[in-house]
Amino acid sequence: MIVRQFGVRQSRQLLALSRRAPVSARFLSTETAVETPVTSSPESSVPSINSPLESGSTQSKQSLTESEQRWRKWEASKNAFHKLGSTTKDSYEPVPLSASEITLEHLLAAGTHMGHSTSRWNPQNSRYIFGIREGVHIISLDVTAAYLRRAAKVVEEVAARGGIILFAGTRKGQKRSVVGAAHLAKGYHIFERWIPGSLTNGEQILGHCETKVVNAFDEELPEFKNDLQDRPVVKPDLVVVLNPLENVVLLHECGLNNVPTIGIIDTDADPTRVTYPIPANDDSLRSTDLIAGVLGRAGQAGQNRRLQDAKDGKFSYQPVSADWLRLDPFTGMPLEAEQQKKK
Amino acid sequence: MGKINLTALRVRETALKQFASGKIKRLPQWVDVVGDVPPPEALIRKPPIQHQLVRQRMKTIPGSSQPQTVFEVQEKRRKPKKASRMFQPVELRYEEDELRQEFFRDHPWELARPRVLVEPTKNRFQHDWSRMKQPGKRLDGESVVQRQLWLLNNVPDMTKSAAYDIARREFYRLRLQEDIERRIAAEEAEATGAQFGPSMLEVGMELENKQYELWKDWAKNEAQILNQKFASLSGAPELANENDEKEPVKSFESVEPEELN
Repeated sequence: MIVRQFGVRQSRQLLALSRRAPVSARFLSTETAVETPVTSSPESSVPSINSPLESGSTQSKQSLTESEQRWRKWEASKNAFHKLGSTTKDSYEPVPLSASEITLEHLLAAGTHMGHSTSRWNPQNSRYIFGIREGVHIISLDVTAAYLRRAAKVVEEVAARGGIILFAGTRKGQKRSVVGAAHLAKGYHIFERWIPGSLTNGEQILGHCETKVVNAFDEELPEFKNDLQDRPVVKPDLVVVLNPLENVVLLHECGLNNVPTIGIIDTDADPTRVTYPIPANDDSLRSTDLIAGVLGRAGQAGQNRRLQDAKDGKFSYQPVSADWLRLDPFTGMPLEAEQQKKK
Repeated sequence: MGKINLTALRVRETALKQFASGKIKRLPQWVDVVGDVPPPEALIRKPPIQHQLVRQRMKTIPGSSQPQTVFEVQEKRRKPKKASRMFQPVELRYEEDELRQEFFRDHPWELARPRVLVEPTKNRFQHDWSRMKQPGKRLDGESVVQRQLWLLNNVPDMTKSAAYDIARREFYRLRLQEDIERRIAAEEAEATGAQFGPSMLEVGMELENKQYELWKDWAKNEAQILNQKFASLSGAPELANENDEKEPVKSFESVEPEELN
């Protein structure tokens, strides 16, 4: 059904290709309506084979409205002068850095060392703290770099095994970096609220969501569509949380479902909440952006490695067989319908 | 599990146990990853890094002709730390802090000057403080602090106050030079036809004058209203005039036009 609609839409567009684009009567709402010079059908506007070329060109010149002529004039002047003026060089373009490119200077510039006021500290973080400055705990940058590299390695390896990675950052302004990291790592993202129970009560909350079976090259296999019904919801293999303080429920559900987690641990957060803590400042967007970018790049490297291995016919993970997919999700036995067929 | 929850740190063990007991049919893909890259140890305290205030000085030592560099470390606390404070982080202290505090206590308006917040990528802190003026850095309070520190570190037998005086004198001279340069530039520009318009003070005076005029109108009106009120209350016009003469408003109204105009 969908395929047919797709075809119709495409063919309609193909039909429209030879047609002249509609010109609105008025370009501004304040202008008075002027009668458009060309209102004839598309067949008549196309010059016939017999008519000479000149007649076609004169008609097109007449058909230009005043604003169109102004536009042409502006474009002509732009083309005449576009080589003048200055050119910008060495402009700043933020690109997510990979874990191997990260230096302490980057971390310092991003302000990852700034902790919280000393009165708000969690003593479990004492091993990550370098000292006190102006009543604020300073996180040790070399520790941050080491833990960040460790977390990046985990993200890369999980991505290389085709694991499902979920990036969660629910603070204001983290949306862009979270989506960017998930896009790089071919993972999933949450930038709004984590709905409590999405893991523990997934059938109710995420039951209507679509799932698909893909092959080693990430191409969808639609023939397994029916086998995916009545399956438990998909659980992530790794969860990256940029603000663990606000996502305690998510981390608790990950604990209940035995999912490893990575989190940015500020000096007031509990480091035992996550499997792989990254001691850093979670209040600065620049800091969380840097860390999310590094983890996203690591995920990208892992995904690329997995696809390359798949081309060479190698698997760094245990592939799922078609028979296993057709087992009953609750009993682990062949489905009743198939058993009856065999009989 | 009590107060400390180690579930997150033991995901691999849990997964292996669940697989062994048959709760899960397949091991998760991440099991060997977490085995290869194990979670870091948590909750283990380390003795905190002890930061000490180190002062670098050039001193002439009796018996040797050449002055030598000496590092003075702040002496240890006489009273040992409480056992409960053993693992608390230590304050970071640098010699510049005292110098900075002293300078800005004496020159609080230096903090009101505009600052450049652009971050350079290279040569960020590479300045040679053997001289006050630095290429690519605006002269400010930090220059004085750094210059004073350089003097303390490199000049033999330098005291804090002497270094402060030297750095300050250089700073004042440069500030004066900046003022003169700015004034001459404005004069040159005016001589070649530039017009700067009214100064900030003039603009401010204009605004103030405008407010005075508004107040004058308002006061005249108020005085008139008060006059009429008193006249209507007393009934007798003579009495009203007498009252009016005693009223400060009346007197103000009668005096005001000559005085203010």
